Amino acid sequence: MKLTLKIWRQQNNQAKGHFETFEVSDVSKDMSFLEMFDVLNERLINEGKEPIAFDHDCREGICGACSMYINGRAHGPWHETTTCQLHMRAYNDGDTIVVEPWRASAFPVIKDLTVDRSAFDRIIQAGGYISVNTGNAVDANAIPIDKTDADHAFAAAACIGCGACVAACKNSSAMLFTSAKVSQLALLPQGDPERKQRAMDMVAQMDKEGFGSCTNTGACEAECPKGISLANIARLNREFIAAGFSSEA
Amino acid sequence: MLNAKIPAGPLETKWSKYKSTVKLVNPANKRKLEVIVIGTGLAGASAAASLAELGYKVKAFCFQDSARRAHSIAAQGGINAAKNYQNDGDSVFRLFYDTVKGGDYRAREGNVYRLAEVSAAIIDQCVAQGVPFAREYGGLLSNRSFGGTQVQRTFYAAGQTGQQLLLGAYSALQRQVALGNVKMYSRHEMLDVVKVDGKARGIIARDLVTGKLERHFGHSVLICSGGYGNVFFLSTNAMGSNVTAAWKAHKAGAFFGNPCFTQIHPTCIPVSGDHQSKLTLMSESLRNDGRIWVPKKQNDNRKPTDIPEEERDYYLERRYPAFGNLVPRDVASRAAKERCDAGYGVGASRMAVYLDYADAIVRYGTIEASKRGEDNAPKEEIIAMGKGVVAEKYGNLFDMYAKITGENPYETPMRIYPAVHYTMGGLWVDYELMTTVPGLYALGEANFSDHGANRLGASALMQGLADGYFVIPYTIGNYLADEIHTKPIPLDHPAFVESEKKVQGQLDTLMNIRGKHSVDHFHKALGKIMWDKCGMARNEQGLKEAINEIRALKEEFWKDVRIPGGQHEFNPELEKAGRVADFLELGELMCMDALMRRESCGGHFREESQTEEGEAKRNDENFSFVAAWEYKGPGNFDLHKEELNFEIVHPTQRSYK
Amino acid sequence: MKWSQFFNTSIGKKLLVGATGLFLCSFVIVHLAGNLSLLKEDNGEAFNIYAAFMGHNGLIQFIAWGLKIVILLHAIIAIQLTIRNRAARPVKYAVRPGNKTSSWYSRQMAVMGSILFIFIVIHLSQFWWAMHYGDLNTVSYNGAAPIGNLYEAVWFAFKELWIVALYVIGMIALSFHLIHGFKSACQTFGLNHKKYNGILHFIGVWIFGILIPVGFAVIPVVIYIKQI
Repeated sequence: MKLTLKIWRQQNNQAKGHFETFEVSDVSKDMSFLEMFDVLNERLINEGKEPIAFDHDCREGICGACSMYINGRAHGPWHETTTCQLHMRAYNDGDTIVVEPWRASAFPVIKDLTVDRSAFDRIIQAGGYISVNTGNAVDANAIPIDKTDADHAFAAAACIGCGACVAACKNSSAMLFTSAKVSQLALLPQGDPERKQRAMDMVAQMDKEGFGSCTNTGACEAECPKGISLANIARLNREFIAAGFSSEA
Repeated sequence: MLNAKIPAGPLETKWSKYKSTVKLVNPANKRKLEVIVIGTGLAGASAAASLAELGYKVKAFCFQDSARRAHSIAAQGGINAAKNYQNDGDSVFRLFYDTVKGGDYRAREGNVYRLAEVSAAIIDQCVAQGVPFAREYGGLLSNRSFGGTQVQRTFYAAGQTGQQLLLGAYSALQRQVALGNVKMYSRHEMLDVVKVDGKARGIIARDLVTGKLERHFGHSVLICSGGYGNVFFLSTNAMGSNVTAAWKAHKAGAFFGNPCFTQIHPTCIPVSGDHQSKLTLMSESLRNDGRIWVPKKQNDNRKPTDIPEEERDYYLERRYPAFGNLVPRDVASRAAKERCDAGYGVGASRMAVYLDYADAIVRYGTIEASKRGEDNAPKEEIIAMGKGVVAEKYGNLFDMYAKITGENPYETPMRIYPAVHYTMGGLWVDYELMTTVPGLYALGEANFSDHGANRLGASALMQGLADGYFVIPYTIGNYLADEIHTKPIPLDHPAFVESEKKVQGQLDTLMNIRGKHSVDHFHKALGKIMWDKCGMARNEQGLKEAINEIRALKEEFWKDVRIPGGQHEFNPELEKAGRVADFLELGELMCMDALMRRESCGGHFREESQTEEGEAKRNDENFSFVAAWEYKGPGNFDLHKEELNFEIVHPTQRSYK
Repeated sequence: MKWSQFFNTSIGKKLLVGATGLFLCSFVIVHLAGNLSLLKEDNGEAFNIYAAFMGHNGLIQFIAWGLKIVILLHAIIAIQLTIRNRAARPVKYAVRPGNKTSSWYSRQMAVMGSILFIFIVIHLSQFWWAMHYGDLNTVSYNGAAPIGNLYEAVWFAFKELWIVALYVIGMIALSFHLIHGFKSACQTFGLNHKKYNGILHFIGVWIFGILIPVGFAVIPVVIYIKQI
């Protein structure tokens, strides 16, 4: 296949970015999207040019590093698929593909398609955990958990923190990410003691990072590579309301 | 002869006795002691969090953009623990025994027993953190079986167990970051260990965004940087997984243990072309229900679904009736290679075998139909029900296969082939996880300790978390108790200056080569040498050739590598170059180690040493030792041995028949 | 968390938008029920009595002023959130997904809301102003005290095609605003449950999104046609 790629280039956070066009040929349908980038980068290096910087690591769709906004879609056109698992079978000879970084003020560009997502870490630091020191645990089977709750908790915990929800949302809202963690821990009895403080602190941090608010368009759910459900956002809202109305401080 | 400092006394009491007699550090002193942790995977994150909880001042480093992305995240299948929740005869001893046997009697009994002992507490800890393990309808935890065992002791969270465990450890780590007990440095790469008076006292790290070199002091340094499977270029490791931190530690004086012990995982998606950047693992749990076969005819071009039952060779079930498709990984991998080399391989490359779910779909469908009281349902309905059950158990893996290959694994058997997956070798450590450099520790896959020559499925997660949660918090105190009077060493100490100068020198050299070939060019060339000559089967001639070829390649690399961009900016090519430079040195050592070990054991298969049936043949008389290599200079390594004494388990020819 | 903090968070503000929105939803039901009497063939008796009652009852007057404050509050907080949301993406995407990942009307709540706001201002100045401060003709039914003949003013206004068109456009905006708005408000209040989502969807789309706006729009259209 022959393809035209229009790729966002930006030297660093301060620099102004622009699109650069590349023609690539001999693209095999069996390649992954990132392997096509590998081949292009190899060519650029051989031509004495700078390769395109992009985040990627496991290439199995689980680490959450890869993050490309492809033809208007976070992680490209395939449903519940990360960029690294997108394969060139999705495209036809002669296609033009526009690749942009995640765009959000809370995700500043580091270089080209690489962005800084440390805001997500700080949201987790605000309360995305259960405060249990090592060695403090009771026997694992001492707390039976309703299977439906456990399954919902797992589904929420499947979040890979890639940021596609933010990228896809017209408001750059991080509600799906935040709600996935709040939901996971709210659904489990272990998370109960801290649930109010957690909901309030994580929402406060999310706001502080400069993410937009949720207008319930559902784009995040549609683009989430792990299929995290909007029901989690509703749960976060419930948790937050309950916490806000009952907190004493 | 190396001393592993294994406590005296009966196996069952070694660890408890150690714990109750080891030196302690009082809380007021812990606050003054600084610990550096390199890597935030299961071992690193759990260690950093646990040490911070105890009161130590911790600095944690990872090269990824977030601690949550460490490659432990990709582990699929599960984590073993001797809980015996299934009442099927499991015990600490059995887990210990299976692990020593599975490792082909090249692991330390004392370490492995401790691992089995603490395994149950890991599950408790993870559940308390909110790790959503799979559960039964009664609300209790579910288990499954894994290769190389006959009990169900594996805890799992669908095909994402590593992810869930890592996120548990990551959240514990983030909690400590929020409390101010851990300072987190992401997008930072460790490039040297700084030693003062022979002890590890800090590191030089490069901020990968700005390219700036930084000096960090620590009373001790923990290397938790994972394995080095990427020396083969193609592996199931993440693209960024590397040996650099461990290798710098090695060059700073830490011995490297059993470098040639590599695990080749039997169930991976085969290579599809030259553009291939990595290989994808299909969880070993698939072997619980899938059947592996090749056609009985060589070069059979028929579609798999057109090959009748009697013309299929279920070679694992044929060769190993007792364990069947659940033989350990090394055995399954070699058996696949044997069939493909003999001309029975399938797919375009003929380097693949089938993993077939047709039988499992019918079996599950029949059970489901009977559950619903529809015993006489037509075949299509039974198959549809069976597909539903299979989708529930393995759906995410099947989807991944479909995305990568474009084939539907519910309809046609999957094609699989072995791929490099895990490295049992690593920095040599004693019972306390300390390397041969005082104050320098290695945890998780980065050390060599518990898996011998072959790791059993679902044991890597167990070991990483055991080291981090339950071993290092005790053993580090034994060292740090004597360090309470050591004041933080100023960063302008000559040792730091010298070390940074060395690192800067290497970066300058790399940038100034301005050669013709990309880093990947060299990495791929190294990978091919390693896979062909130090891969699933090794022989003396091939290894000798490999050593020469790697030396030549290394020379060419330092003359001809091209790194675009600058040094003082975000430059992934420069990062890769440093890592490949280290892989080139490691590759040579791996071949030397493989050449030295003239026996077959576990994942290390020397063609000269096999039984008449083609099984690995150990040579206990001459090779019942850990090979620990000391770095003496470029291409120059001294061999030290740690004798392995088996007091409880008596090494026999491993049999899974 | 103090109330001031609570309602300053993004969710807190959304709760205010949602609460005011749901209140306005309840208002449109009442408003429509009353307005439908315009179509009654009684020369405006029912409608004028209803309008006079609404215009002079103290409690209703109180609520009516509250209503205007609620509309303003709804708009102001929504604008605040919209400004914040725009700021969260300073560099826009070159290529956008169109309707592949979300419905256009869910993304255009601010636009639909603005159209509605303009509509409401015009609507109020036309009838509410006339009712309270204008000089409507009076009419007396069955010997009771004379009351303002708003009915006549309405019929007069809807002789003009452009006014009818304006009302229809306003109701189209209302329709799309409520199709998304009702469900969105429920979601903000955490009402998302497999068992009840179907009924919420039905109410949002069929009652608030279609039935009510169509009911409103029918009035000017019918009145216009009757007067051709």
